[in-house]
Amino acid sequence: MPQSADVILSASDVSKAVAGPDGHLQILDSVSLTVPTGETLAIVGASGSGKTTLLGLLAGLDNPDSGDIVLDGSHLNRLDEEARAALRRRRIGFVFQSFHLLPALTAEENVMLPLELEDSGGDARSAAQQALASVGLEKRLHHYPHQLSGGEQQRVAIARAFVHSPRLLFADEPTGNLDARTGRAVSDLLFDLNQARGTTLILVTHDLNLAQRCRHVVRLDGGRRVDEAA
Amino acid sequence: MNIFRFAARALRREFRHGELRTLAAALVLAVAALTAVATLGQRVERAIVASAAELIGGDLGVSARREIAPEFSAEAQRLNLQQNRSAEFPSVVFADGKSQLAQVSATDASYPLRGVLRIRGSDGSERDVNAPGPGQAYADGLLINALGLKLGDSLELAGKPLTIAGEILRQPDGGQMFSLAPRLIVALDDAQSSGLLGVGSRARHKLMLAGDAAALAQFQAFAKANLKDGAQLVTVAEAQQNLRTAFERGESFLRLAALLSALLSGIAVALAAQRYARRKIDEVALLRALGLGKHRVLASLSLTVLMLGLPACLTGAGIGLLLQQIVLNYAGNLLPAAAPATSLLPALAAIAVGLAVLVGFALPPLARLRDVPPMRVFQRAVGLRPRRFDLLYLLPPAVAFGLIMTQSGNSTIASALAGSLLGVTAATVCAGLLLIVLLRRLGRSLPGALRFGLANLARRRGLSLIQATALALSFTALLLLAVVGPGLLAAWRADLPPQTPNHFLLNLQTEQRTSVETQLQNLGAKNLNVLPLAVGKLVAINGKAPRAEDYEDRRAAGWINGETRLSWSPALPESNVLKGGAWFDGKATAPQISVEQMWIDMLGLKLGDTLSFTIGDRRIDAQISSIRQVDWTSFRVNFFVLLDPATAAELPHSLIASYWLPAERTVELRSISRQFPNLSMIDINAILDRVRDIIDRVSSAVMAVLGFSLLAGLLVLIAALNVSAEERRFETALLRTLGAKRGQLLSTVLGEFALLGLIAGLIAALGAISAGLSLGRGVFRIAWHPPLLSFAIGVVAAVALVTFAGWLGTRRIARTSPVLVLRKE
Repeated sequence: MPQSADVILSASDVSKAVAGPDGHLQILDSVSLTVPTGETLAIVGASGSGKTTLLGLLAGLDNPDSGDIVLDGSHLNRLDEEARAALRRRRIGFVFQSFHLLPALTAEENVMLPLELEDSGGDARSAAQQALASVGLEKRLHHYPHQLSGGEQQRVAIARAFVHSPRLLFADEPTGNLDARTGRAVSDLLFDLNQARGTTLILVTHDLNLAQRCRHVVRLDGGRRVDEAA
Repeated sequence: MNIFRFAARALRREFRHGELRTLAAALVLAVAALTAVATLGQRVERAIVASAAELIGGDLGVSARREIAPEFSAEAQRLNLQQNRSAEFPSVVFADGKSQLAQVSATDASYPLRGVLRIRGSDGSERDVNAPGPGQAYADGLLINALGLKLGDSLELAGKPLTIAGEILRQPDGGQMFSLAPRLIVALDDAQSSGLLGVGSRARHKLMLAGDAAALAQFQAFAKANLKDGAQLVTVAEAQQNLRTAFERGESFLRLAALLSALLSGIAVALAAQRYARRKIDEVALLRALGLGKHRVLASLSLTVLMLGLPACLTGAGIGLLLQQIVLNYAGNLLPAAAPATSLLPALAAIAVGLAVLVGFALPPLARLRDVPPMRVFQRAVGLRPRRFDLLYLLPPAVAFGLIMTQSGNSTIASALAGSLLGVTAATVCAGLLLIVLLRRLGRSLPGALRFGLANLARRRGLSLIQATALALSFTALLLLAVVGPGLLAAWRADLPPQTPNHFLLNLQTEQRTSVETQLQNLGAKNLNVLPLAVGKLVAINGKAPRAEDYEDRRAAGWINGETRLSWSPALPESNVLKGGAWFDGKATAPQISVEQMWIDMLGLKLGDTLSFTIGDRRIDAQISSIRQVDWTSFRVNFFVLLDPATAAELPHSLIASYWLPAERTVELRSISRQFPNLSMIDINAILDRVRDIIDRVSSAVMAVLGFSLLAGLLVLIAALNVSAEERRFETALLRTLGAKRGQLLSTVLGEFALLGLIAGLIAALGAISAGLSLGRGVFRIAWHPPLLSFAIGVVAAVALVTFAGWLGTRRIARTSPVLVLRKE
């Protein structure tokens, strides 16, 4: 499927199955979607509906059994793992439900990580400091993850996701581990950065309030797409 | 991304907090143990060689049937080596109408270069001297006695009168353990001027050297390239068969200790690396998700570990050098006063082995991290894809095998160790699988907390098997160090029992035998062993005259150009073991011989070959009907060639006897000597004392080394077990959160560890016993009986040790708030 200039991500007829103890288990069944550049998309559905699997496939973390995914002009199924890794490194940021900060690194060092992986040549440290300042953690630079609250850890994760100015940001239940107030603050931060930097935001959530803040919503049920609203 | 910079940063950050410290500690301990063992071993070995040099009167020499070519002396002078020229030959000496065969050493004034020549002078005082001056001689007490002389009297050698200036009390052996006659030392000039060394002389000339090790090595290379006409190198190792055995045994013990240290460290590194790799799974998944390619993941992890490994190895080497110095300072009496200085070579070798251990044992679990799917960042349930077979799994056994082959220095040690370790691995895996099946079936009937702990064993099947195998291998190594090694050493010490023959009697005639035997028994002689002795010459092998230059083994020249002493016996003599063929049954119609293994190897012989000897005016063509191995350390009369008694019956011969006599009665032998002046009596008490002394020194030093390896091994094992105890921290914290009592927590973990320890300990005991039996029989040639009580204690200690390590790990976790533990997970 050709991708128009303002579409940054498209998926057509994407299916995925796994072998389970009771035999073949269909996780996703012919799911299609398109995401325009700079937009926000929420993927919602009950537990086990295939949301996270779809997010992983869209981000190039895994291969679908069938179907095609085009991310920023690249057909993911035509790329090998190394090429997909390079694509993720340069164009994608991630925010996870359980933060996934490296426990041995300080907040600043965690945020530097994508720049170090890219080896962009710039001053990774000052970029990380700026990113942390933009999420209000300029005083937590040298704290380790276990010295930070859940909300602070997620803000570090957001700073890490944005520090290398990705074209797309994938977030998996970004507020799922946070209380309502902290969750609200974190989601504000995500949308503010999306607005400010023009980064396309794709998130998986159970939180209907969060989903409603997105311009597009994809609803999954039993691995099939059942609804789309703009 | 700059992988080096990334790895360096990762190391710097993780070292502050991560488990890499455990891996580094295992490596530091391993290299420290290896360095200490190898350096101490090298120093002990050098000290032994130095001590042995005293026995041959120099560090190295050249011996030949004719005068030593001048280029050898010139080369020695160029290399700044000390030189001593001598010639040895049998000659009859005369005094007051009496005559006696003597073994004469004619030597220049520099004798001896190593060791001491101790005499008793005519004033009765004992002193260490150099060779006698012109016109003087030092004589064996038996020779003085046989000729009815006293110190200060004269004897005549080839018509030249010589004054007996001293009685020889102690003398460097000069490369010959037993001479055929009492000794006489004279000045080389006297022997030359009396014409004893002229054309047709039976003298063996020697040039002995002493000096710097590097110069000696250069000389040895030069000599090997220039030896001709039956000339031979005289080295410490080749000098004496029984001392050689002592050195080989000592060296084998030391190599075994170092090798076991290396294997222990490998196991510890493998356990630590596995733990590290498990901890890194989530991080690798994140890095993969953030776009780090799988090859770069592997490169970064390997670099991180290598950057850690090199300084850890260097630190270990430093600690090892320090430790061996401490051992030497506290146990200085183990070595001769002038223990040679430390060389850095063993430390460098230990670093290389440490790095090989790191790569070999740490790489496989790290390399598996390549396969961590990035999708794991979203779904923790997505783990490593199981693989049925991975070539990398072969790396640790390959490195272990490589270590065994390169470090053992002996194929029998290598096969005994490799065989038993392989057997232990297979037995542990089988027993582990069986246990897991049993636990699944019977587990439900166990009490609560214990059930949970034992269920963990079954649930983590792969990890349990790896752990049980690692523990079993560690305990095998530890039992080899703690029980088998000292046991073999004790057996070795007992190898020279108190009544080892200390006298030899030569030239006994058949008609004198009964009378001499009776008199010896009256003096209290024990272990009397009398054998016939005929002197012949090897003239053909399979019908062809042998030529010394056709044989690589330079010892062959001595037998091809010289005489062979033969004997015969209806039964296989004591301290001989049949290695092939059958002992004489008296039914053969053609002559047969039994040949010692050393001759078989030296001359490339096999069963069925025909050797021809001339003995007197007879020629005997005898077929090799059996091959024997002689225990040369028995100090009994032994022969390389034994004839079948039927063929030998009519041969001209004398008798040779060996026996033990209490030292205080030696002086009473004089009456026998006076009654039978043809007898040559040799007292080897001095030599036996030296051998006992060397065995004592070597075995004491080896015990110190074994003890150190054992200590290092225990430390490594506790560190590794401590790490593995942390595997249980999450379950422990969860149980604590659910309100488990401290006792319940303990029985959960301790039940699991005790069972692991029991299986590992039992299998290790069997493995160590089988390795000990093969090492005793095949390498040390010592009859070793497994001390079952010690092994039973070993098994109990294994259970206690593993359980203690489990308790250590749990105790720390139980004191931490469970919330913190769970949150950290």
